[in-house]
Amino acid sequence: MHPDLGQHSGPAVIEVRGLHVSFDGHEALRGVDLRVPAGHLVALIGPNGSGKTTLLRCLLGLQKSDAGKIRLFGQSDLRRALPRVGYVPQRLVLDRSFVMSVREFLALRRRETQNWFWRRHADTDRFLHSAMAEIGVEKLLDRPLAQLSGGQLQRVLIAFSLLKEPELLLLDEPTAGVDSPGEQTFYELIAEVQKRHRLTVVLVSHDLSMVYRHASWVYALNGVICCEGPPEAVMNAESLRQAYGLHVSPYQHHHVH
Amino acid sequence: MFRHTNIIMFTEPYMQRALLAALLLGPLCALLGVFVTARRMSFFSDTIAHAALAGIALGLWMGLFDPTIPMVLVSLLVAAAILWLKEKTELLSDTIMALLLSGSVAVGIIILSLLKGSRGQIHSYLFGDILAITPQDVWMAGGLFFIIGAGIFAGLSSLTLLTAHEEMAHVCGVRVRPLNYLFVLVLTVTVALSIRLLGIILVTSLLVIPPAAAWCVSRNLRQQILFSLLIGLSGSVGGVILSYQLDVPCGPTIVLSCIALFFLALFIRVWRPERQLAPASP
Repeated sequence: MHPDLGQHSGPAVIEVRGLHVSFDGHEALRGVDLRVPAGHLVALIGPNGSGKTTLLRCLLGLQKSDAGKIRLFGQSDLRRALPRVGYVPQRLVLDRSFVMSVREFLALRRRETQNWFWRRHADTDRFLHSAMAEIGVEKLLDRPLAQLSGGQLQRVLIAFSLLKEPELLLLDEPTAGVDSPGEQTFYELIAEVQKRHRLTVVLVSHDLSMVYRHASWVYALNGVICCEGPPEAVMNAESLRQAYGLHVSPYQHHHVH
Repeated sequence: MFRHTNIIMFTEPYMQRALLAALLLGPLCALLGVFVTARRMSFFSDTIAHAALAGIALGLWMGLFDPTIPMVLVSLLVAAAILWLKEKTELLSDTIMALLLSGSVAVGIIILSLLKGSRGQIHSYLFGDILAITPQDVWMAGGLFFIIGAGIFAGLSSLTLLTAHEEMAHVCGVRVRPLNYLFVLVLTVTVALSIRLLGIILVTSLLVIPPAAAWCVSRNLRQQILFSLLIGLSGSVGGVILSYQLDVPCGPTIVLSCIALFFLALFIRVWRPERQLAPASP
């Protein structure tokens, strides 16, 4: 047991026990156990098809499980826990003809469309501006959402998910559509936001070097949790070989596909 | 060229009904259309419109003078079949809809061929006929206008979130499945009732053209919705008036009025200074 995290210390934000999920005749998760205490940046790593996204979808109530228990904030009715959760999807594929502006999109989180089809309101404007400024993208407020670059869109999605002051932030490979210099600043941003808002963050990632730098706890998944611990303990060749089933060195490969 | 003076037109009861129906259904379709087009559902609405033919034929076969109820029911049945097949099979939704569209048209034509003397009526359903609009149709359009209008206004956040990203909508507390079904229900009923005005073949145009025209001159969704409402209203009411004045069929005139507005909007988009509009490329 690592003294930093003390896996059973502190109230658990996420508790998963014996989770089994199968679809299309394939068993994606075969008895996953997981416990995430409050206030940590937890990374979920593993090869393609290891069930990372499936696990995240289960936590959000988007995927039904065959067996096992999930509790968010001690609650097994996930829908009731959702108001305390922020979610950033892998990427938002929007039709380029969809004209919704970033400002309108953000207003949706606060359900402010009833104000006569997004009529501008000074209070909302101030609020949205400061929320966007925190993420460094306030200049994008009046741009159409569908015309942002991958990196800009991910930042807007972070701002969106922070609007309701969540306690838990789930990110599914948030840098999938971002170029590599953007990737580094993106992870720094997440680490910064996590500290400032005292969030618990669960991050699905391919990028082992970023995980190594920013995560406080790592779960290596491949149908089951292969190993877990602080990054320096998990991310050695032996445990990665267990998770990925092949020889991987975390210092030579930034991406494992 | 013009048949009557403008004043007389408004005193004829059938014209009053047609104008009222256009006044109610034009903006309603245009508002729904913004979400129909964004969700790529125009072919879906075309399919349920064509499915109405089977319902109309069934109604006439049962000896009903007004086949509105079987028409709406068959359209709903086909809409449910599309959703069910989409969920239960891995067929492309395009394939499913093409199958059900041609299938229900074929059923409709076979039933009609067994009936005698209904050719004129069928013509009016295929291409729309303002003479066939009954007071009951106008009342139904009015009810639909207020219920759906209020529903969209109240549920705009949820509907827009659903349009942008279903999973994000779920996380934001939207009940995705019920809302999807509700949207299909509303769309089906609206399409079926608009058939009187525009006909089976042309009804989708009122869902697609006003949002497309509005898109040309909009920088955000608020503008697209408001312009679409305005274009749907002026296209449909203008079309009814023009069709009376020029003594040409009503449905096609509404469609051509909307298309004229679309080209006007496209012209504005092309000729307005670039900085005033959303950039065409990032």
